[in-house]
Amino acid sequence: MLLDFQKKIIESPLSILVAVIVLLSLGILTLYSITVTQGQEPPNALSKQLIFLIPAFLLMITMLLISKRIIHKYIYFVYGIILIAVMLPFFGQKIAGTYRWLNFGLPFGLQPSEIAKCVIVITLAKYLSDHNLQMKNFGSNIVPILIALIPAIIVLSQPDLGTAFVMMMPVIPMLYWVGSRPYHLFLFVAPVFSILAASNVIVFSVWAGVLAVVIFFSRPQLWHAVGLYFGNIFLGLIFPWFWNSLRPYQQNRVLTLINPELDPLGSGYQIIQSKTALGSGGLFGKGWGEGTQTHLKFLPVQESDFIVSVIGEELGFFALLIIMILFSFLIIKIIRLALNATDRFSGLILVGISIIFLTHVFVNCAMTSGMIPVKGLPLPFISYGGSFLLSSFMMIGLIMNFGREELD
Amino acid sequence: MTGVVMMLHLVLVYRFFQLQILNFELYSKRAESNRIRAISLPAPRGLILDRHGEIIVDNYPTYILYGIGAEIRDKQKNYEIITRTTGIDITILEKNYNNYYRNQFLPARLAKDLTIKQLSRLEEEKNNLSGIVYKQYPERIYNKKIRASHVLGYLKEMDQNMVQEMALKGKYEFSDLIGWSGLEQEYESTLRGKKGVTYYQVDAYGRETGKLDGQDGILAYPGDNILTTLDVSLQELLENELKGKRGVGIVSSPKTGGILAYVSSPDYTPDLFTGLVSNMDWESIIADTNRPLLNRVANGTYPPGSIFKMVVAIALLEEKLITPQLEISCSGSYEFYERTFHCWNEYGHGKINLEQAIVQSCDVYFYNVIQKINLNDLAEYAKRFGFGLVTNIDLPAEMKGRMPNRQFMNKIHGRWGWSLGALLNISIGQGEILVTPLQMVSYINVLATRGKTRPLHLVKSKNIEIQKQNISQQTWDVIQLSMHKVVTDSKGTGWRSDPRISGLKISGKTSTAENPHGDPHAWYIAYGEKDDEMISVVVMVENSGNGSEVSAPIAKKVFHHYFNSVKSKLANF
Repeated sequence: MLLDFQKKIIESPLSILVAVIVLLSLGILTLYSITVTQGQEPPNALSKQLIFLIPAFLLMITMLLISKRIIHKYIYFVYGIILIAVMLPFFGQKIAGTYRWLNFGLPFGLQPSEIAKCVIVITLAKYLSDHNLQMKNFGSNIVPILIALIPAIIVLSQPDLGTAFVMMMPVIPMLYWVGSRPYHLFLFVAPVFSILAASNVIVFSVWAGVLAVVIFFSRPQLWHAVGLYFGNIFLGLIFPWFWNSLRPYQQNRVLTLINPELDPLGSGYQIIQSKTALGSGGLFGKGWGEGTQTHLKFLPVQESDFIVSVIGEELGFFALLIIMILFSFLIIKIIRLALNATDRFSGLILVGISIIFLTHVFVNCAMTSGMIPVKGLPLPFISYGGSFLLSSFMMIGLIMNFGREELD
Repeated sequence: MTGVVMMLHLVLVYRFFQLQILNFELYSKRAESNRIRAISLPAPRGLILDRHGEIIVDNYPTYILYGIGAEIRDKQKNYEIITRTTGIDITILEKNYNNYYRNQFLPARLAKDLTIKQLSRLEEEKNNLSGIVYKQYPERIYNKKIRASHVLGYLKEMDQNMVQEMALKGKYEFSDLIGWSGLEQEYESTLRGKKGVTYYQVDAYGRETGKLDGQDGILAYPGDNILTTLDVSLQELLENELKGKRGVGIVSSPKTGGILAYVSSPDYTPDLFTGLVSNMDWESIIADTNRPLLNRVANGTYPPGSIFKMVVAIALLEEKLITPQLEISCSGSYEFYERTFHCWNEYGHGKINLEQAIVQSCDVYFYNVIQKINLNDLAEYAKRFGFGLVTNIDLPAEMKGRMPNRQFMNKIHGRWGWSLGALLNISIGQGEILVTPLQMVSYINVLATRGKTRPLHLVKSKNIEIQKQNISQQTWDVIQLSMHKVVTDSKGTGWRSDPRISGLKISGKTSTAENPHGDPHAWYIAYGEKDDEMISVVVMVENSGNGSEVSAPIAKKVFHHYFNSVKSKLANF
């Protein structure tokens, strides 16, 4: 048995672990700079993060060693439990205006939604690999989307737009992976684009053109094509009217639901401070523990969402370049493993997890550098956050397990 | 899929490159200005001194209490503690806080003029307070003996609108003080000084985290003092004499044009505007029908009455239209077409010449002789004595009164709407003619020096020559002798102004100026000389009756005080 375990560990893709450890060390260094320079007494972000590393490593090892069959067998059951778990916070206390955390009487709370992310991916993987699905049929896409959508909607109403977004992101690539028609996937995405594009006349015109071209080349039946096209256009046209017919407080209620982190100080204060921190870092940064934006508290939520700005300010562009290389290596490595996977279940899990990591990295960095509006998504392995650390290492454990060549 | 991953990461790398390498300078500067706060150090304003160097306006350190929004935990509780320990009304704290609030990180003023005692009691409660800080601030304090509020003026705190005003843009900041009237306004650039600056590192909540290394501030540079021509003891005397009356009293030096005392009564306490005065006092000053805020000396306009007669006499003598010997018979009234013009003495003065007409202030004499000259010629002479013109004293606002001429009369009454009768009124300083007391100071100084006076001033005269009179010495002789006899002659109206000091020669003229607002205004203008010393006095008490009985005795006290007790005599200003 022990030999078995040893073999399992040796055969797993260890290079992934190397990248993770480098990223984790950078995160710990940065948290050290924040907490020690600012004289924060433990328990602080650093001490909590270090304590959470223990269960995180244990969880990773467990996920590495656990039999793939067991995961495959019980995942629907786990999915059921996690659906209940993400609803539990609603019965508890509101923390920072949201129902994200479960309180077990410990000095910290847990976010079931973090664990739900990888449960959804595994559940989807089982559903898409088990059934002898006719993926060319449009209807076969409905159930997989619902698998992700149901927990995502619950999480959205916590409210936690970022996590809900992460939950939805793997669905389309995974469907694509098992051979869904891109045209069908496009149909799922199209209404969302129609609504988003409706705010700007030029964008909407371009979108209408793209829609027409895609439908034309996909050659559906005529009544079908016309219905789709005008359905989307109609949706786009009616949405602004519908939105404006809402009263301001109703609009606000929807906006806060979607984005609870709406800038409290107005005029993009957080983004301005984050860009200032990044930009003033230059090539090699101001030095470890020397970031004025960080330590004089100009930078908001610096331990988690805006930790990239801390690194950018103190260690400079050079450090961020290394981080970007490590993340792209990590994600591409996972996709390679998926391509080489011998079974569809493993491949799907690897693809889903790679998309989760990619979403986190891109959304977080794009947000801190002011490319997209503020969405609270932390950076894997670097940002402070107990539940997120647990789920990240859980996913790494799964990658190392499912990335192995043979099926046990 | 690998390609998509690569591309997304490249986008991020490019974005970081753009921010950190391409725009490094921009964000570096922004980060610096984020953390560095320049705190201005107030420059003490220059002092205002009297001619002997006695301080009239001084600075004293006062403490201002501020609240910082982001750091106050329980505003109501903090206010209650402040009210309990300092006695400052809680509504004042609330009102001030809302007034001065700019953002939650900047200190907003709660109260000013705190004493050390109040502060030390606050200090004891320090642990129960949050976000409450105080700062020292130099505040104006005034000589207790005098008020002189209309001369000194006051300071005003800059509000946002004032900061925006073009003329002041860039030079003043929000809540800076600026001279807003009187000498404080006129000599703003001298008194103001230069603010200093000190640099602090602050955190995102605006809290100071220490001084910056290598960034030395600039020390505040105090404003320059101004030495005025005022004499505190004379000012004090005149203020006391005019207390409870509506009127003015001005003492000046005819030879130099310097003002020794400048009283407009009623006035207000000069620290009315420094915030020590409660709202209720302020309301009562605003509502006072005696209008204490009006500077009657420079901005009050009055009919001059008989003191104008010297202008008429000079014009007629110079134009050779009368001789000093010409005698007119006064019966107490004068028939002019269908109208009867009365002399103030209803029994009449009998046969009277120019000198006695001035000494006894006979109106009928002037009704007669005025018909020899036309209005425009008279107005020209009046102008030479400053009637209808500003005196150019170094104060920010001054009225120029009104000296009517033909064009003016046509304009307001129409071409045929007025007649020679109006001229009769003007001859005794009534009717359309209006003067400010300040113009009368200038006028008496010209009379006292035969035109060799200097422009009026409180600190230094503006570089403006006064009008040339071009009057013959014979005429001056007649006028000055007549004015002297006003005081010394047994029938003179000004005898009550003579303190009878040996060697002191006083000349003057009374006036009892009729006006539509009630009893006549009592005027007295005079000058006194002894050895080489000379001062002039102008006193006017509104609606108080007779210049001879009301105003002349006040002038007597001034002469008595000055020639008996003012130690250091007039210097060269």
